[in-house]
Amino acid sequence: MNKSESIKATRATGPKYWRSLDHLADAPEFRKWVDHEFPSGAEAVTDPVTRRNFMKLMSASFLFAGLGMSGCRRPEEKIIPFARQPLDYIHGKAKHFASAMPTRTGAIPLLVKQDDGRPTKVEGNDSHPDSNGGTNSFAQASVLNLYDPDRATRFARNGDRVDREDALEAIRKVADAAAAKRGKGLHILADHSESPTRDRMRDRLLKQLPEAKWYEYEAIDHDVHRRAATVAFGHSVKPYYQLDEAEVILTLDCDFIGSEEESTLLMSKFAKGRKSDPEHPKMNRLYSVEALFTLTGAAADHRLRLPASAVHRVAAEIAAKVLSDPHFEKPEMAAIKDALVAHGGASGVDSGWISGCADDLKRHAGKCVVIAGQGQPEAAHLIAHAMNTALGNIGKTVQLLPVPARKGGSIGDLVNSLKSAEVDSLVILGGNPAYDAPADLDFVNAMEDAGEVIRLGYYEDESAPKNGWSLPAAHYLESWGDVRTADGTLTPVQPLLAPLFAGMTQIELLARLAKDAVFAPYDLVRETFKGVVGGKNENAWKRFLHDGFLADSAPSALTRVRLMADRVASGVRAANKLPVLGGNDYEVVFHPDSKVDDGRYNNNGWLQETPDPITKLTWDNAVLMSPATANKLGLDNMKGYRDGVHDKLYKESDGEVADFHDGEHNYAERGEFHPEVIELTLGGRKIQGPAWVVPGMADNVFGVALGYGRGYASESKGGTGRVGDGAGFNAYELRGADSLKHAVGVKVSRTGKRYQLASTQEHGTIDGRSLIREMNFDKFADKDSEYADFAKGMNMPHPPGMEELPNHGLAYENPLDELRKNATHSWGMAIDMSACLGCNACALACQSENNVPIVGKDQVTKGREMSWLRMDRYFSGDVNNPQMSHQVMVCQHCEAAPCENVCPVNATTHDDEGLNLMIYNRCVGTRYCSNNCPYKVRRFNYFDYNRRPLNDLYNSPANPWNRKDGEWELTRWVEDRSRGNVDDDQWDLLALARNPSVSVRMRGVMEKCTYCIQRIEGAKIAQKVKAGASGNVEVPDGTIKTACQQACPAEAIAFGNIDDPESKVSKLKAQARDYDVLDYLATRPRTTYLGRVRNPNPDMPDYRDTPETFKEWKAHGNHLAHHGHGHGDSHGHDSDHGHDDDHDKEHGEQAGKGGHH
Amino acid sequence: MSDHAPAIKLEAPPVELERERLVSNNRDLGEISDQICDVMERPTPLWWKICMVPALLLLSMLGAMVAYLVTVGVGVWGNQHPVMWGWAIINFVWWIGIGHAGTLISAILFLLRQKWRTSINRASEAMTIFAVMCAGVYPLIHVGRIWYGWWLFPIPNSNDIWPQFRSPLMWDVFAVSTYFTVSVLFWYMGLIPDLAVMRDRCKKFFGKFAYGLFSLGWSGSNRHWRNYEKAYLILAGLSTPLVLSVHSIVSLDFAVSQLPGWHTTIFPPYFVAGAVFSGFGMVLTLLIPLRTVCKLQDIITVRHIELCCKVTLTTGCIVGYAYFMEVFIAWYSGSSYEKYAFWNRAFGPYWWGYWAMIGCNVVVPQFFWLKSVRTNLWVVFFLSILVNVGMWFERFVIVVTTLAREFIPANWGYFNPSPVDIMTYLGTFGLFFTMFLLFLRFLPMIAISEVKAVVPQADPHHPLGGAEEGGHH
Repeated sequence: MNKSESIKATRATGPKYWRSLDHLADAPEFRKWVDHEFPSGAEAVTDPVTRRNFMKLMSASFLFAGLGMSGCRRPEEKIIPFARQPLDYIHGKAKHFASAMPTRTGAIPLLVKQDDGRPTKVEGNDSHPDSNGGTNSFAQASVLNLYDPDRATRFARNGDRVDREDALEAIRKVADAAAAKRGKGLHILADHSESPTRDRMRDRLLKQLPEAKWYEYEAIDHDVHRRAATVAFGHSVKPYYQLDEAEVILTLDCDFIGSEEESTLLMSKFAKGRKSDPEHPKMNRLYSVEALFTLTGAAADHRLRLPASAVHRVAAEIAAKVLSDPHFEKPEMAAIKDALVAHGGASGVDSGWISGCADDLKRHAGKCVVIAGQGQPEAAHLIAHAMNTALGNIGKTVQLLPVPARKGGSIGDLVNSLKSAEVDSLVILGGNPAYDAPADLDFVNAMEDAGEVIRLGYYEDESAPKNGWSLPAAHYLESWGDVRTADGTLTPVQPLLAPLFAGMTQIELLARLAKDAVFAPYDLVRETFKGVVGGKNENAWKRFLHDGFLADSAPSALTRVRLMADRVASGVRAANKLPVLGGNDYEVVFHPDSKVDDGRYNNNGWLQETPDPITKLTWDNAVLMSPATANKLGLDNMKGYRDGVHDKLYKESDGEVADFHDGEHNYAERGEFHPEVIELTLGGRKIQGPAWVVPGMADNVFGVALGYGRGYASESKGGTGRVGDGAGFNAYELRGADSLKHAVGVKVSRTGKRYQLASTQEHGTIDGRSLIREMNFDKFADKDSEYADFAKGMNMPHPPGMEELPNHGLAYENPLDELRKNATHSWGMAIDMSACLGCNACALACQSENNVPIVGKDQVTKGREMSWLRMDRYFSGDVNNPQMSHQVMVCQHCEAAPCENVCPVNATTHDDEGLNLMIYNRCVGTRYCSNNCPYKVRRFNYFDYNRRPLNDLYNSPANPWNRKDGEWELTRWVEDRSRGNVDDDQWDLLALARNPSVSVRMRGVMEKCTYCIQRIEGAKIAQKVKAGASGNVEVPDGTIKTACQQACPAEAIAFGNIDDPESKVSKLKAQARDYDVLDYLATRPRTTYLGRVRNPNPDMPDYRDTPETFKEWKAHGNHLAHHGHGHGDSHGHDSDHGHDDDHDKEHGEQAGKGGHH
Repeated sequence: MSDHAPAIKLEAPPVELERERLVSNNRDLGEISDQICDVMERPTPLWWKICMVPALLLLSMLGAMVAYLVTVGVGVWGNQHPVMWGWAIINFVWWIGIGHAGTLISAILFLLRQKWRTSINRASEAMTIFAVMCAGVYPLIHVGRIWYGWWLFPIPNSNDIWPQFRSPLMWDVFAVSTYFTVSVLFWYMGLIPDLAVMRDRCKKFFGKFAYGLFSLGWSGSNRHWRNYEKAYLILAGLSTPLVLSVHSIVSLDFAVSQLPGWHTTIFPPYFVAGAVFSGFGMVLTLLIPLRTVCKLQDIITVRHIELCCKVTLTTGCIVGYAYFMEVFIAWYSGSSYEKYAFWNRAFGPYWWGYWAMIGCNVVVPQFFWLKSVRTNLWVVFFLSILVNVGMWFERFVIVVTTLAREFIPANWGYFNPSPVDIMTYLGTFGLFFTMFLLFLRFLPMIAISEVKAVVPQADPHHPLGGAEEGGHH
């Protein structure tokens, strides 16, 4: 029993954030030190009454974590106060520790930044073998969860606070009782985990208590990949997709950019194949079959929209084509072929699409891959495996990794046991089954049939038992653990600070239940590690913690596997009985939300306010449907407001370009989103939600995101926290055990009610503007074609006579040119739109790095969200089957910045390295800079978002009735001007999540992307120190990564010195695809974009000879301009031509000279 | 003076050629003084009290709204991303524009020897000053951190940070404050002889003292008159360019930026014309009821109203031309962004604002071609209000529709004013009318001495002038 364990954690007043620091604060050495360091604040630190002392104490928490060697946490779990500063501790200097964020099927390897003992930012660990340093939005936002004031902070029994010791005593009793009955009556429900230690603890527990029962449940089950592969190949394996090796990819309702658990990894590999090397252009091709419009569909070169229930039929048809090809026909797979032929054929999909796709797969045998998604039934996965096997992809693009088999029953089994009163003690490890279990199981009531429930949860939410104990779970950043990443590499989960609220880990609880002598998680993890590495492992352990992974611990892929043809065939035949959507029926698809996942991030404000990449909705989910479906239901948010110029231009253009304004939301155009609420009924269960039209969705399909519709936990029912309270509707209430992913036969009715939604983007089309520049690969790759230079060719031609001006067609000299001569660096950014997949990881990284506040739903409806980094999303083409394009929009750091010369107080200026600086202290808030910014990337603090609760923004601090904690706000303000009107407990915690290197902005000032100037300056200072007398102060390329760049799994963003021709960013900018957004304004942005290249297959029936955005641009009377070819006189635009591709050549010549140089 | 005949006596012009008199009913000089002073010397009239109550209520509302804004933040307005400027800037430009008529009447018409100005210049100048005060409220309060508003002034400081002189907002600060200063001086200058009249007539001690103080010892001596006339001429000369410069510079707030719909060279003249247009609209709106309630029909005659209508018509046509030219240039530019900006104004989500503007500013003044309209004061009053509504919409169209939809469609938004926006705007009317009503009650609303100078009786050479025919009695 260690020291902290022995300290009794109770005190008469105040919360017990952690125990030892109280002691620490009482230690005379510490007091002396505090008196010395903070003469005026010493009383506050030692005053036990005020809750604010917590924050001050936190700043002392470096005592925990700052002691170790750089990069490796001091392994002893002792907390030793110091009288003198430790040798390697530098106040204010951040440290980084390797850790990992566990996911359902693995983990995201991380390097976590720690400022004075508190983790503030996570970044991907790029030295990890299964990571390129990318992360996803959840990982980025998980820091905020750590400091969530609404997380479970106490031990409770039947909803009432108890002492920790009492709870531990209760666990001991349960363990004793179980031990007495060999585990009979002990039932454990756990979430999915890839932790070897948890597996070990489980196995040990079940060995000791053989009668105990183990169940596993995840609301969104990603295990189907593993189950199907195990069925198909007869070993316990999981597929590991090498998308970087694949030239042709077919996804069967597999949103590997969004809702798949390993999306970060898959995106990084997929994006590699999208980045075209300018010398040897090459690009993968993505076919996507899907029901919703997902990011994968947006990235796809060919997208087939189909109800989710019909996807396996199309898969069967494609597979039948492949398997019946004499080239790939194998006698042992004949049974499968027969089953496929019997199965497919009913999808009604254009046979050209089927055969075109199948032919392309066949042409790339061994270099292609077929992936079925987590939402698809096992049959679709089996078909995919059959195709992959036939095409010889196994072992190449598809690796089969041996994995330990999952154990335990399903949640349905548990409910049966509960109902038959077999359960004396139910232990719930993580998850939130009372909220997200299938509705027909009625888990909430079943839970009450248990004798006693012990629930380890991160929140006191719906599953917090009314008949038992609620234990606070530790966040992964405050717990010891281990995990296997997707490839199986053993990876440590290291704590960055001691648990803020005495949280417990699953492994500790399991050890206590097993009456294990050792239950400190650290010891348990080391024990597992010892089991892997063996004997003397001190150095290996240190290396493990330092690196964040155990080298070569990934299992090697199985090479000699055989497809179990009979099993696959019977699986396919079984699928034949699955219901398929008929013409007038409706299907509902339950999908994990891009923001709150299955609901676990419901109380995370950063995620709630991040717009969904497709719908751009914040703070809510909606019933998504296609335009045709909405029309059929007569929902009037499809009747478009008609925009004069738009209609006109489109009417004049060729009919193929749909008039998107028919599909535009009436209310959306006016900034008010009040769609009608519709009711869905499935198996007697009903839910109501606002309708939202997504162009390009499959018809007759409703998409509903899970994870919303939770009330505030303080109400009797239990629920989420203050942030997530009231957001969206609960789709779990519709979902039954037989309809976990999607269901056919849902009934729909209109309610006539309306509901306000908050979307950050009101206009979804690009209106023929050349902001997004796209071209097809074959045209682009043809060097002789005019399209090879499409990106610059889409620049607006210069007016006649401008060319003769001395400054490259600009009327004035750029003052920065002179400054630049003496600058050490010239910072610039390039964003590759071919690689960018729109996943939002960058947006969250930016928010976390730069202390970007959230503003709440009400403010989002007024367009006041503060996001420095915006993901613009455009639809183009036919409203029923459009193409989608994404564009990351950040401050462009224009050399001739329009914002600068209009600021009356010099609050935004330029430095010689090309940064457009924003000086918050000088800003008075005229907002003129934002008005004059053509990219609209500046955000204004309309309220004191950082210091006032979001529901209190409109309240005046001078209002005498405005009291908080019994104190008039103005008095509070006088006492502590940094505190504002946030609840003290919220304030103390949220303040900790902030990056100390970035100022927190007050109300009334403008803010914007700085290119992460704190990182730039940090690197420059470090380089100066390093350079010493040598004077080499140029920061080497790659040293600085902006937060967005670092988080991007697709590596779409490059940042660096553009004066260095060898830097990555310079090389990207040198590519032909590089262009300036709004080139004609001559703002000379330092952020440039690389035009997106799509790679459609000309043999496909839905082949589009040019991307839709390009067509739209041409339909607006534009022509590609030639550059540097010195064509003759510039001609006027001839509007008789230009809507016909045949005229392109001619117009290319006519457009004459113009554009950039 | 009646004992000797004038040396030169002109023939009276034929009746058909004689201009309508500026003061009708052949009032003599004493009657003019009496009539104008009557407004101040009578017991407080009922209409004044009735008007003062809502004015004060609105003024208090302005105070409350500003206090709320300052303590809570700019978010209480409807401003949003991308429409970062909303009603504050619309109303600023609108009020500034209204101010223009006063200076035009007092300075430019003075230099152009337009004698009809004398009946209306004092009230118009007061209107100018109060309108500029209303306008001046907005730039002060619209900034995010009001307590640092003084950073816009070039005050030497230890950090050696100066304002950014390239910013049009900076130019605004100078333009508006200069304009206000000169307007006040000019107005006060013109008031001095009249204040002396008031001093001489006032019977109460405090009034006598106050008028005496501000009339600066005016005795009506020749020396005083000579100095006065010179100073007045100089100030008129100074004010004249300001009439053109202030709104030109206000227009540069827009023209210097590079948004389609803002970035046009036509803005300065077009803004000045619009300002004069709206200013005269406001002059009409104020004077038509005033001349009745104050019984000044003899001094502010229908001819004055007609002349104001003609100026309104002229400037209205200039404004209409500018609207047309904007659209033409947008088309001629070949820039799809420009083209879209103007299509969007007319047919976008704010089409109603655009057509309200066109209707009120281009169509409405055309009625002033008709003498029957110009002389029907009810109709003129109604149309003058429409002119002001139209000019408000012009600023709305410029500020809001441009910002709501410019370069990047993903940014497009829709601006809705908040109740605080509306109440602040109404509050400025409270400020304006409170000031104006106080002005009516305590200062001569018509330049007594100047009006006297333009009646025939004042001109010994005039056929009707001199003592013989209606001079001093």
